[in-house]
Formats: sequence, C-alpha cells, structure tokens
Amino acid sequence: MIWLTWRQFRAQALVAALAVAAVAAFLIYLGVRMRSDYAGVLGCTPSECAAARISFGNTYSRQLTLAGVLVLATPALIGVFWGAPLLTRELEERTDRLVWNQSITRVRWLAVKLAVLGLAAVVVSGALSLLLTWNASRYDQFLGERFVALNFASRNVVPLGHAAFAFTLGTVTGLLVRRTLPAMALTLALFAVVQLGEPALVRAHLMTPVTTSVAFDEDAMSRSKGFGVSPSGGAKILGYTMPGAWSLSEEAAVVNADGSPLTQEQLATCRSGNPEEHIRCLTGLGLHFDYTYHPPSRYWTFQWIELSAYLAASLLLAGSGLWWLRRRTPSR
Amino acid sequence: MTAAMETEDLTKRYGRTTALTDCTVAVPAGRIVGLVGPNGAGKSTLLGMTCGIVAPTAGRIEVLGHPPGAGAAQLARVGFVAQDVPLYRGLSVADHLRLGARLNPRWDAALAADRIERLGLDPARKAGALSGGQRAQLALTLAAAKRADLLVLDEPVASLDPLARRAFLHDLLGFVAELGVSVILSSHLLGDVERVCDHVVVLAGGRVQLAGDVAGLLTVHHRVTGELPAGAERIHADVVRAAGAPPGARPIGLEDLGLAYMSRAAGGAS
Repeated sequence: MIWLTWRQFRAQALVAALAVAAVAAFLIYLGVRMRSDYAGVLGCTPSECAAARISFGNTYSRQLTLAGVLVLATPALIGVFWGAPLLTRELEERTDRLVWNQSITRVRWLAVKLAVLGLAAVVVSGALSLLLTWNASRYDQFLGERFVALNFASRNVVPLGHAAFAFTLGTVTGLLVRRTLPAMALTLALFAVVQLGEPALVRAHLMTPVTTSVAFDEDAMSRSKGFGVSPSGGAKILGYTMPGAWSLSEEAAVVNADGSPLTQEQLATCRSGNPEEHIRCLTGLGLHFDYTYHPPSRYWTFQWIELSAYLAASLLLAGSGLWWLRRRTPSR
Repeated sequence: MTAAMETEDLTKRYGRTTALTDCTVAVPAGRIVGLVGPNGAGKSTLLGMTCGIVAPTAGRIEVLGHPPGAGAAQLARVGFVAQDVPLYRGLSVADHLRLGARLNPRWDAALAADRIERLGLDPARKAGALSGGQRAQLALTLAAAKRADLLVLDEPVASLDPLARRAFLHDLLGFVAELGVSVILSSHLLGDVERVCDHVVVLAGGRVQLAGDVAGLLTVHHRVTGELPAGAERIHADVVRAAGAPPGARPIGLEDLGLAYMSRAAGGAS
C-alpha cells in the first residue's frame, strides 16, 4: 500500500521538490546578503539604533514578507492539491472500485495514505520553515517582530502543524464532499478561516498577558514609533515594543510617577524648538507608562502550544475521516 | 457446498429510487452464473453488494458464507471487475500488476505475467492508452491473479466490439476451467450469457424473475402456439412453463427465454 501511495504521489512529489528547491535558492541568497548587512549594523548606539533598525527593515521587509507568505501558503496549497483530491479523484475516476476490491480494507487504505502523505506535507512545510527561520533569524532578532502573525506562523515549528492540519482537513473535506473542485474550494475557504481567525481571535489568549510599568526614557523612545501630546494635557507613546516581546497595547498614556496625567505646565516647561531637546527634557521628568505584552520567553511556549493544537486537530480529523469511511463500509 | 452468493429479501434504495426489491436468490459455487436483465434492472446494485461496495438497505446477503467486504480476508476471496473497467490511467500495465502483487496476499505473479504476455500487452504502456478490449483484459487479469474464490464481473464486455467481446469471453472460459473459480457475470446481452454461463438469474424491475441452471430451465420451458396446455403457465406470448413438453411444443433458446421473462416484468406486449 505504501508503494501504491508513493506511485500515485510521485508526480506531485516532484512538483513539490522543484518548488521547494526554487524557494530554497531564493531564501539562501537572501539570507547570505542579510547576514553581511547585519554585521554592519551590529555595533549601533541607542540613538542610532532606531534609524538602523528602520533602514534594515526597509531593505528586507518586502522580501521577507514575500517569503513568509510563501511559507504560510504552503499548508493551504498542500490541503487543496494533495488533501482534497486524494479521495475525490478516485471516486471521479471510479478507481475506488478497483483499489477497494484488492485484499485491503478501505480504512487501511486511507490510514496509509493519510500517514504517508501527511508526513510528506510536514516534511515539505518543515523544510521551508527551517530555511526561512534560518534566513530571517538576524532580522527577527534585530527587529524583534517574531510574534507578528505572519512571522510567527511562518517560522520554527508552527508551519508543521499547519501543514498536517491542512492536509487532513483537505482529505476529510474530500471524503464528505466527494467532488474534486468543490472539495478544493471548501478546503481553501475553511483553512483560510482557521489560519486568519486563529491568530486574530485565539492566539493572544492562549496565555494570560503580562502588564508592567515601563520608565519613559530615551531607550523607550527608541523602541517606539512615536510620541504625541495633546494641547489640553496628557501624552501618549505609540507602538512601544519590548525587544522580542509580543505587544498587546498599541498606545499607552505616559503618566507621572504617581499615576497622574502629564499637566500642561509640565509640557510647557519642556517645549522646545528642537524635538530632541524636547524629548530629552521629558525623559528627565521620571514619567512611565503601562505596557501589556507576552514576554519574549513565551515565544517557544506559544510555538509548542500551537503545534500541539494543530496536530491534535489533525489527528482528530483523521480519526473522524477513518471512522466515517468505516461506517460507510457495508459490512465491517 | 456453500453457495457462492446467497441473499434473502435483499433490498436497496437510493433515496426514493428502489434499485432492488426483496431479492432472494442463491447462486451455486463452481459455476459461471449469468446475471441478466435490462438496463436499470438492479444488476450493478446486486453485484456491488456482492463485493461489498454497496450497502444493503434491508435484507441479508452472504458471499462464500460470509458478509461481503468484511475485512481483508473476505476481500481476498472475491475478485471484482467493475462496470466500465476502472483502471489508473496514469499507471502502466506493469504498475497495475505491481499494485495487485502488493495488495493481495494470494497474488499469482506467474499467472499474471503469463496472461499479459499471451494477450500481447506492453507492460510499459499506460492504462489510459489501452484499447477497450485491452483494458477489460487487464482488469480481468488483475482479478484473476488475485486467486479469488469468486469472480464478480459487472458488464465486462459491454463496451467491447463483437470481436473483442468474443475473445474476452473465450479467454474467460479458458481460465475459469483452469482455476476452478466461481464466476458471476452480468450482462444485458443474452447472447453472451448463453455462450458462457451454465446458470442464469434474470433480474427485471428490481426483482428476480427467474433463476436456475440453464439446462434445467430449457427443459421446462417451451414454445407453444394456440391453447395453453393443462398444468402449464404462460410466461409471455408463446413461451410457457410446463414440467413435460406439451404436444406440439417447440424447444426454446436461452435468449428468448430471458426475453420472455423480461417482457413479462415490463408488462409489455411481444
């Protein structure tokens, strides 16, 4: 049965291998270039670091986003092109009547197909993820955006879970829908809903976030996207990110040590024609702001939780697919 | 001896369509059994249930003494060639033999290789590039080399031209004798059945109309013109069933006999 699975899968495997090779060539080339650039910005001082980060980010963000999207799309493609047609093609060509009348039960037939092709899906996705993780490691380290939805789902172990899940989802959809094109479309839609919905609605709640008070100083400013004051008093820091952490607060009120808002008088004292002077004065006031986030140390916990959840969902789907096929077998 | 296939009040409904109604029939082992009937008579449904790809709605069916399709051991005992002989178009003849060898514990590699050579099939040829006759022969080879105890063939010759059909049936007769396997084969062509089968089941309108050994059936059916003799039953037009031949009766062929039962079931005039 393993032989037959491989024989029927050979052409698709070749296509996948070529695609992986092409993406690998691109990623290795990009990774080598990025490493040499990174060496140049390593010794930045805090005041220069913001600029260096922006420039490094501008140079590579587009290519890395593209690579991330490719890795992210791989499980969807696997689900649509490997999973969905797995059974429907047999039904449409009526070869189920050939293969299910050999001396092998259809449950075993499906179990072997799921195991072998599921493993292939995980290997393909794993190879791409490994390449991108290596490729982007300097970038992620420097810019600290590992938790961004696209980056999180396209690096390390999470793509393996996505691939296993997409493949079993496609197969089981095909089992229920029984026609190739509708099964492919439905697989894509379902997987897209999961892949977009899960990070947006579920991921951040997998663990309780931490809220801490951060001193408003030059370092904090260099890690934020901006700072704004309102004429009526009060000030906000925008997009502050602790290195490597997952920020859950996009903006926070900058307040005095006792928690009272910044007064107009305080702002007036520091007003200056020179923006740098202005900020330096403000940072001397002993201000702070609240910051809600998942600490960097949780990155791997999140990765493993998500991998386990997707693998568990894959097993559950595979189990129900086998159960369904067994139930539909006339006499078991 | 266990029957090759035995059913009791077997019924199959697809939604509101009834394909087979209260079918009770026993097919002896060691024979070539012809299952005949018009299109839509329920032949494929009955054969599908025989090899376990179709589940009955009601009733009981046993194949070689066991429920059909129950586990790998039962699957190994029944060989099936489905209607339109499905094959993997992208796989070569050799690949198909390898598939058979890998998936069947009782696979007879020598038999398969010998048949392929005798039929002149190129092992490297893709199944999609074979002619209809070659496809049917390849499918039959797969089923035969499985060394099943029962071969179920659903309309194996329906798509073949007369020459290929004759060759296929001739070949079938040859290796059935050689392997001693039971065969159930369906056809809507009575001539084919007459040529190869020694037992016949006539199915029409989802019901069994007639079942029995060909020789026995031919001795109790006659063509009688005029008055219906005492103790005889008129089947359709001049075809009557009577234990002894009434005076003036003429013998009947299997083709006309089958047609008479099918016509009666259809309620049509001759």
